[in-house]
Amino acid sequence: MPRKTLVRRRVAFAALVLTALVLMSVFFREPATGVLHSVQRTGFDVLSPLQGLASRAVQPFQDGYRWTKDLLHANRRNREMAAELEQLRGQLVLLEEARQENERLKAMLELRDAEIFPKGSTFVTARVIGRSPTRWQEWVEIDKGTADGVALNQPVVGATVPLDKSLSGKGLVGKVIAVGEHAAQVQLIIDPESRVAAVVQGTTERPQGIVEGMVPGKLIMDYVDRDKVVELKRIVITSGFGQIFPKGIPIGLVESVGEEDVNIYKQIEVRPFVDFSTLEEVMVLTNPVIVGEKLEDMRSVAPQQDMGTGSR
Amino acid sequence: MIPAWLADKGRLVLALVLAVVLQTIVTSQLPILGVTADLFLLLTVLVAIARGAGVGLVFGFAAGLTADIVFLEPVGLRTFIYLLVGYGVGWYVEEFGLQSAWMVVILAGTASLLSQAVYGLFQFITGSAGGLLAMTRLQILPAALVDGLLAAPLYLGLVRLRLLPRPDAGDPSFR
Repeated sequence: MPRKTLVRRRVAFAALVLTALVLMSVFFREPATGVLHSVQRTGFDVLSPLQGLASRAVQPFQDGYRWTKDLLHANRRNREMAAELEQLRGQLVLLEEARQENERLKAMLELRDAEIFPKGSTFVTARVIGRSPTRWQEWVEIDKGTADGVALNQPVVGATVPLDKSLSGKGLVGKVIAVGEHAAQVQLIIDPESRVAAVVQGTTERPQGIVEGMVPGKLIMDYVDRDKVVELKRIVITSGFGQIFPKGIPIGLVESVGEEDVNIYKQIEVRPFVDFSTLEEVMVLTNPVIVGEKLEDMRSVAPQQDMGTGSR
Repeated sequence: MIPAWLADKGRLVLALVLAVVLQTIVTSQLPILGVTADLFLLLTVLVAIARGAGVGLVFGFAAGLTADIVFLEPVGLRTFIYLLVGYGVGWYVEEFGLQSAWMVVILAGTASLLSQAVYGLFQFITGSAGGLLAMTRLQILPAALVDGLLAAPLYLGLVRLRLLPRPDAGDPSFR
């Protein structure tokens, strides 16, 4: 390249760089009404109608482009949303479960204040976490133990929602027969080994007897004098004489009354208030008010049992 | 009869007017990857490739000044950047030649990247922009890609319109 051309180019380069810098400097220093701003505004005024027209003209193409783009993404988005939906469904199930549990626990708290169970009773609510493997025994395992104030032979009652004045689901469940630090075994009243002193309400005679469990999961009230009148649908409650269950805990309703010539007692079938097959939460009466002997005395007599798992 | 030098300059002015029209009507309306192509910069690069550093320098100045007015930006900023681009690209082609058609794409992409970086740096210094890293991801790199890919078809279009000479006219090494 000739030297003259090279020099001329360098001079032009320096001059244009300088001009650009001066323009920039002037632009920043001048007011909004300055020359450069005015030129820019004029250019804007000239070009903006063109841009407006172009914008309207291009709009259908832009829409078409966006539509195509959306269509291409639709399948992927659909898969993502399907996966998200499944995840949300899973969360919904968990939330529904939590809501129901919350409702049950709330009802149990309210039940504590209701006058269904003996006055002065205090409760420990517990969840059923295990069941007897066969119908030959009827027991459940709960998630509360000595650490929560649960002790041997404490009565256990049902706590089923909805909370209302009915006794359905709120009757006697059984008693604690083994206890660990954080779990306990509850013998249900339908267990063949269970015995509960009971009385039939509703008549002046108030016939008394022993409610026993029978395979498969029935309740029979035995040792009721034959000369006592027992009406159907009467409520059977604990009598408090068994030294374990306080007086007044509802057990069930008289379902049928049987008499045999060879038997000096009536045999009464009792339909329990508690549905043992769907038992989920229970309440352990931790300070049952016993008629007669003190519970502490009874506890000292009761055999000490562990929560051994070897027998299960 | 129009003198050759006048016709030559007329073609460049026509190319610049065409850039204004296309930038205003078409390019600004069709963002790609979230950015719009900068036809003024592309034209500067292509003119510099075809005509060398001297013409590239002057054309870059004119195109940058036009871009400052059209884009409503501080007058002188793009003027400064584009004249450097025009001179730099022209100098590179004069020194090393245009080895292949891909060099058009690479030069346009690189010029876009550098000019955007300088522009971003200016915005960063004046405090009128967001994070430089975020802008690199959202503006600088996509713009470089779009400008680079658009350079080749634009070059062919301008050659076909006889606004620029054929790329291989004076360079036997060009393939």
